[in-house]
Amino acid sequence: MSLNDALRTPAHGSRLMRSAKIRPEGDRSAVARLTLVILVGLSLIALALSIATGASDASALRVIGALLGGTEDTVLSMRDRIIVLDIRMPRALLGFLIGAALAMSGAVMQGLFRNPLADPGLVGISSGSALGAVLMIVLGASMPAGLMASLGAFTLPAAAFVGGLLTTLLLYRIATRGGQTSVATMLLAGIAISALTGAVTGILIYMADDKQLRDITFWGLGSLSGMTWTKVAAAAPIILLALVVVPFLSRGLNAITLGEAAAFHMGVKVQRLKYTAIVAVAGAVGASVAVSGGIGFVGIVVPHLLRLVIGPDHRYLLPASALLGGVLLLGADMLARTIVAPAEVPIGIITALAGAPFFLWVLLRHRGRDSW
Amino acid sequence: MIDARNLTVSLSGKTIVHSVSLAAKAGEITAIVGPNGSGKTTTMKAIAGELPSKGEITLNGHDIRALEPWQLAVKRAVLPQAATIAFPFTVREIVRLGLTVGPNRHAERVDAITAEALAAVDLGGFAGRFYQELSGGEQQRVQLARVLSQIWEPVLDGEPCFLMLDEPVSALDIRHQLTIMQLARRYCEGGGGVIAVMHDLNLTAMFADHMVMMKNGTVAHAGRPAAVMTDDAMEAVFGCRMRINGVPGPGVPFVLPHTASY
Repeated sequence: MSLNDALRTPAHGSRLMRSAKIRPEGDRSAVARLTLVILVGLSLIALALSIATGASDASALRVIGALLGGTEDTVLSMRDRIIVLDIRMPRALLGFLIGAALAMSGAVMQGLFRNPLADPGLVGISSGSALGAVLMIVLGASMPAGLMASLGAFTLPAAAFVGGLLTTLLLYRIATRGGQTSVATMLLAGIAISALTGAVTGILIYMADDKQLRDITFWGLGSLSGMTWTKVAAAAPIILLALVVVPFLSRGLNAITLGEAAAFHMGVKVQRLKYTAIVAVAGAVGASVAVSGGIGFVGIVVPHLLRLVIGPDHRYLLPASALLGGVLLLGADMLARTIVAPAEVPIGIITALAGAPFFLWVLLRHRGRDSW
Repeated sequence: MIDARNLTVSLSGKTIVHSVSLAAKAGEITAIVGPNGSGKTTTMKAIAGELPSKGEITLNGHDIRALEPWQLAVKRAVLPQAATIAFPFTVREIVRLGLTVGPNRHAERVDAITAEALAAVDLGGFAGRFYQELSGGEQQRVQLARVLSQIWEPVLDGEPCFLMLDEPVSALDIRHQLTIMQLARRYCEGGGGVIAVMHDLNLTAMFADHMVMMKNGTVAHAGRPAAVMTDDAMEAVFGCRMRINGVPGPGVPFVLPHTASY
């Protein structure tokens, strides 16, 4: 069964398509626009729920009421206020942005490499970002204090950004020859690069002291806990910039589906498109990994799911991926912090538990194809 | 017109095309023929601006290397030999990709041109089908519809537009081969130009106004098909003795596209 057959089965797209009365035939833009509207609604609900729920009984409504009504602060309301405004809110916002960044980066990588299995985590960009961050944690202590102080909260995201960017460029250079990017080379190179960055990270862990080890463990697990407004200020601008820039690549990514030569024939500045996409992905993934560690499978599951419903047109796929990625990550986070409350399951475990079987299912359905 | 002079193309250090000169005029089908590996596709890619090359290439008098990709895209469109697509696009979505540059990108024209382009390649009613589910010949015609829609008007701002087709009929049955060659002819009658890499010598003889025979990366013969297609030229270029307008011996059936009524 191919991906296309799936679209025909009632469980997926066609029911939605009929209900949206698509016209003319083969045009899924009406379904796509409807999906976007639904996703905006879901995003708002997910953000609200994420701020309203948690291990403590703090009430978001009461806090908002207190803020608006100017009620006198009691000890209890102070506590609630801190929980809602300084713990849940930055966590919800950053969680949404990270989910959006990872999912959209997945969609961009898949479009650029013309392969539905490309993903920033799979091809080693995330591990490159993690290496950058770990490098900063371990070796940062020996760097000039003035430099560290001037970078402040931006040090880790910047290091992860550079790590992700260098990995992506390396990957792209290796996989591209004579203007053609080899998918097989890319996946193999991604595995090799992941192993290499993993080994270097291992050396750094070996060198690290106890405090640094604790900090490093944080990356491996992947978590949205400990989000602060400082971290929002450090990571959100990079992610937001990527989220704003990437939709402008939609037309080029659509054209490049037919190959880089065909994209050039259709008027796309291919080289500029590739570099913009790579820098945006490295930035978004780097900033996300820097504050949340390795959260896998969002980048591969979300765009795939959406292609089944709205098709591969990047003008809709990119924003829809961002929204659904945010919604799913917040959902996973709500699960992560409630199923064993008051303790927390690292969110990376939840996304891998749900994402890995989905990924295997995708592979099973592609078995008939010979290209990968 | 497209004018290439002393075109030399090297790939990975090996020279594939040696100082080839060819001119494709508006209103004419220019066919490039020759054996496998003679540099036909490479020449076409260089003229399309896709491969780095030495020598002069002008499109309507403009140096193509000085034009931006979008400036080229509104004046020439290129049909590649084969295209695989990783994502489940519908036929309509593929054809619409051709309408993202140039004067036809406006929403009210997109649906009309998409429908007309699909009808022109005899794929009316295929808009809702998935590209990957089509046969090779149908896919080739979808790509042609996309390429055609990119430069839908044969003349834009007083300048001719050019279709560059790399083996446009290679996967098609005889009826659709004729349909597509007729389409190319009509594009020329509308004031545009067509450059096509061809393997079918009979269709070339029927439809080409100008014929360029390539061998080993150079132009062996060029001119009107009636002038170029001689027994000696055929043997020199293709390496087998054939008689132009010869008839096989008794008992061997043969069929020529020339005799088709359509």
